[in-house]
Amino acid sequence: METDQCTLYYKSKTVNSALSRTEWIQLKEVLSFHDWKLVTLALPKSCHLSSHQITVSSSHICRLYDRFHALDKDDKGSLNRSDFQNISELAVNPLGDRIINAFFPDGMDLIDFNSFVRILARFRPVDQNPKKEPNAPEPINSRVNKLKFAFQLYDQDKDGKISKSELLQVLRMMVGVQVTEEQLESITDRTIQEADLDGDDAISFEEFKKSLDKVDIEHKMSIRFLR
Amino acid sequence: MPVRDLLSTSSKLSPFQPRYEHLLLLVCVLGTVLPLGVDCNPSAENHQINGTQKKSFPVLSFDYLHVRLPFEIALWILLASLMKLGFHLIPRLSNIVPESCLLIVVGLLVGGLIKVVGEAPPVLDSKVFFLCLLPPIILDAGYFLPIRAFSENTGTILMFAVIGTLWNSFFMGGMLYAVCQIPGTGLENVGLLPSLLFGSIISAVDPVAVLAVFEEIHINELLHILVFGESLLNDAVTVVLYHLFEEYAGVGSVTFMDVLLGVICFLVVSLGGVFMGILYGLIAAFTSRFTSHTRVIEPLFVFLYSYMAYLSAEVFHLSGIMALIACGVVMRPYVEANISQKSHTTIKYFLKMWSSVSETLIFIFLGVSTVAGPHQWNWIFVGCTLLFCLVSRVLGVIGLTSIINKFRIVKLTTKDQFIIAYGGLRGAIAFSLGFLLDKHHFPMRDMFLTAIITVIFFTVFVQGMTIRPLVELLAVKKKQETKRSINEEIHTQFLDHLLTGIEDVCGHYGHHHWKDKLSRFNKKYIKKCLIAGERSKEPQLIAFYHKMEMKQAIELVESGGIPKIPSAVSTVSMQNIKPKRALPQLSKGKEEEIRNILRSNLQRTRQRLRSYNRHTLMADPYEDAWNQMLIRRQKARQLEKRMTNYLTVPANHPDSPTMMRSRLSSDPQGYSLKLNSGNVPAIVVDPATPQSPESMKLQEESSKPGEEDQGIVMRAKLPESSRTDDNVFTPGEDSPKEQRLIRCLSDPGPPPEEEKDDEYQAFLN
Repeated sequence: METDQCTLYYKSKTVNSALSRTEWIQLKEVLSFHDWKLVTLALPKSCHLSSHQITVSSSHICRLYDRFHALDKDDKGSLNRSDFQNISELAVNPLGDRIINAFFPDGMDLIDFNSFVRILARFRPVDQNPKKEPNAPEPINSRVNKLKFAFQLYDQDKDGKISKSELLQVLRMMVGVQVTEEQLESITDRTIQEADLDGDDAISFEEFKKSLDKVDIEHKMSIRFLR
Repeated sequence: MPVRDLLSTSSKLSPFQPRYEHLLLLVCVLGTVLPLGVDCNPSAENHQINGTQKKSFPVLSFDYLHVRLPFEIALWILLASLMKLGFHLIPRLSNIVPESCLLIVVGLLVGGLIKVVGEAPPVLDSKVFFLCLLPPIILDAGYFLPIRAFSENTGTILMFAVIGTLWNSFFMGGMLYAVCQIPGTGLENVGLLPSLLFGSIISAVDPVAVLAVFEEIHINELLHILVFGESLLNDAVTVVLYHLFEEYAGVGSVTFMDVLLGVICFLVVSLGGVFMGILYGLIAAFTSRFTSHTRVIEPLFVFLYSYMAYLSAEVFHLSGIMALIACGVVMRPYVEANISQKSHTTIKYFLKMWSSVSETLIFIFLGVSTVAGPHQWNWIFVGCTLLFCLVSRVLGVIGLTSIINKFRIVKLTTKDQFIIAYGGLRGAIAFSLGFLLDKHHFPMRDMFLTAIITVIFFTVFVQGMTIRPLVELLAVKKKQETKRSINEEIHTQFLDHLLTGIEDVCGHYGHHHWKDKLSRFNKKYIKKCLIAGERSKEPQLIAFYHKMEMKQAIELVESGGIPKIPSAVSTVSMQNIKPKRALPQLSKGKEEEIRNILRSNLQRTRQRLRSYNRHTLMADPYEDAWNQMLIRRQKARQLEKRMTNYLTVPANHPDSPTMMRSRLSSDPQGYSLKLNSGNVPAIVVDPATPQSPESMKLQEESSKPGEEDQGIVMRAKLPESSRTDDNVFTPGEDSPKEQRLIRCLSDPGPPPEEEKDDEYQAFLN
């Protein structure tokens, strides 16, 4: 597995993020004095999100790293699925399994800290006044990317559409056991019918985006913690 | 009626239109006002009962005294309602000027009239205001409070309400004291504490005024809830400050201990009020669990418990407004799951009616009190008050927003801040509090009252009138007109779960985490206690879906039956609008029952003039119609033709009360039929292809006929017993009838006899 070389740019000093624990603790002490300085993680071209600039503030990197290590019980430097499953609240969450799978893209079984942050960076609150360079790629925490992440959780077979069976699965997970199959089916049919604009009996990403036009995604899919 | 003809003809003569209506209004006003000033003359004859002379028996006598009080109250309310009626006949006026302004003007006119007649116009009595006029408005606001928006912005709202009001009071009080100390103004007798007291009275944003103005401008939900929430929650602060300063103004000094006690008092007042409200709300919810046999008085429980919460809070000098809000908010989800559809409608419309009348009366009385009240005009004081009000509000909003924006995910823009500052209207609460001041302790009370009234007039007239063009000018986002679709509901819930999961991964106990915990606690323990029967287990999504389907069914039927058979729509969806009393098997006992029903049905049409018993509702048309549907189905299963009979149910007039009601839904969770041409949603009529027996569901009727009607409920699939072809439940065929039944369920429209007649006729066919 190719580890992404993530470089932390801090005050024009290039720091390699593949740090040992002690190095990290030293770096943390330095970083914690400068809470508002943004740290940019620039990703190499090889990873599939290569063109995204992810900005997370330094204090949050520290917190996330602490959390990463807290989850990583065996101290191996990366997380596997069982580490996630140890989080008790996720077990009760109806979407728990899907969320865990979202952290392990492309069938990998271990994630390192960079990927961990990359996924969580999506939930950063949207910048109110982005400096728009003409060719700059869209930030990872923009509304569209947030919606894409949610869409991917629905769309398990990655065909770009939410089919009826996928929607049914999700509904079944959310609603529980008391409701009968037919009732869920009728809700599913109704949902698809409402959202489906091109008549292909499935919800594409565009239709998904449109149906959530009125919902305040920037607010809803942001965690204050990751500002 | 000649008056109606007058109006109808006048509507055709457009240039002359205002004249007739003004005439009508004037006549009504005079008619209602003059008796208010008339002194009654008790007839002298009645006193001479023991007189030696035998007087002739009084055939007609005039004794106004003994009905005076209720008569006057009724007249005032009638006047208020007629005024409201009048304004909406003149659309040009009501577009420019908000209703509150017009009502104050009317109050001024009425007060002037009464004064001219020679009587003393009544002043807005604080007791009447706080105990009778204010609670309906607050209850209406609290019961229909949009919880989601409120809970997401609680921090912001609390900051504005508490810190903002404190800042306003102290700034105003301090600056006014400073101004009063300037030699030469003649105001030296206004001490520090009285001016602080005045500041606390005048600084509170008034919910009545805010509601009255903001409701007309349809601003976006965020701003609405911010200003409105602030006006509701600042009551606790106002109460504490008012009592604190009033107590100690007499003494003349406040020590540090008093301030500390004041802070503790604030916590007690607000939390105590909320606790009181929650307590009463839970009791009300619990009571509503058992009301299935006495549906008529269900709304009464809601009103009474809320009012008791308010009064109980007032007993302990806690914040009555917060108690009322908490009661409404807590009570609502459980009560709505328990009560019948009719009670729900009743509650909604009664609350709207009372709050509307209250609001009108308050504004009229404000106008009258202005004419009546003792005034002491002091240019400097009043002018400075006005100035400092505006300045402190602007500064407060700007300052607080800069702090709040550090913590908000979606920040408040300058436009938002401007609207929040501009929307800080003062109203009748300030006046009533000022009126309560004791003249002995506060010799400058009249001056205070004058200043308060001036500020109220300024905010209501100037700010109220100009806020609408300003909103247009600044292109502030307006309220979303369309209601939630099922897509939004599902995806929002999905996102809720997702975000809760992500927060758990981060180890961050944020908003979603606590919300999830609360809803889980709610589902596990509370719902079981407070919701009757099966409804307690119903997931929220299903309840939402149900409501939506039912509303659409009603509207579809109301708009003229099913015009054509829609295509590509799930036929199973109709199956799922299943009433609890589902189709039973036709056992011997049932057949007997059906025959009895048939017999009684035949009898009933003969007994049209049976006695009216006001203690029971008319036999629930839904129940009877359901049984008759059974019979009908038995007889007419194969006959497609009979269905067309029902398909062409004569459409109600488009402006029938039912249609209006379904349109005027103020319930934020409600929704309306999305008019997607061609994609008519789930209600399906598919007579051509009867359902195959496999897809049919037969549910055991687990209850006896006399059981309570629990409204529409989805039940888990129960084991089916053997069914014969006779008992096939064809949802396609039944849908129009079901819709008619659903319509019967929801609207009290045509009298029951008429309906039974229709069905009877059809049955005979």
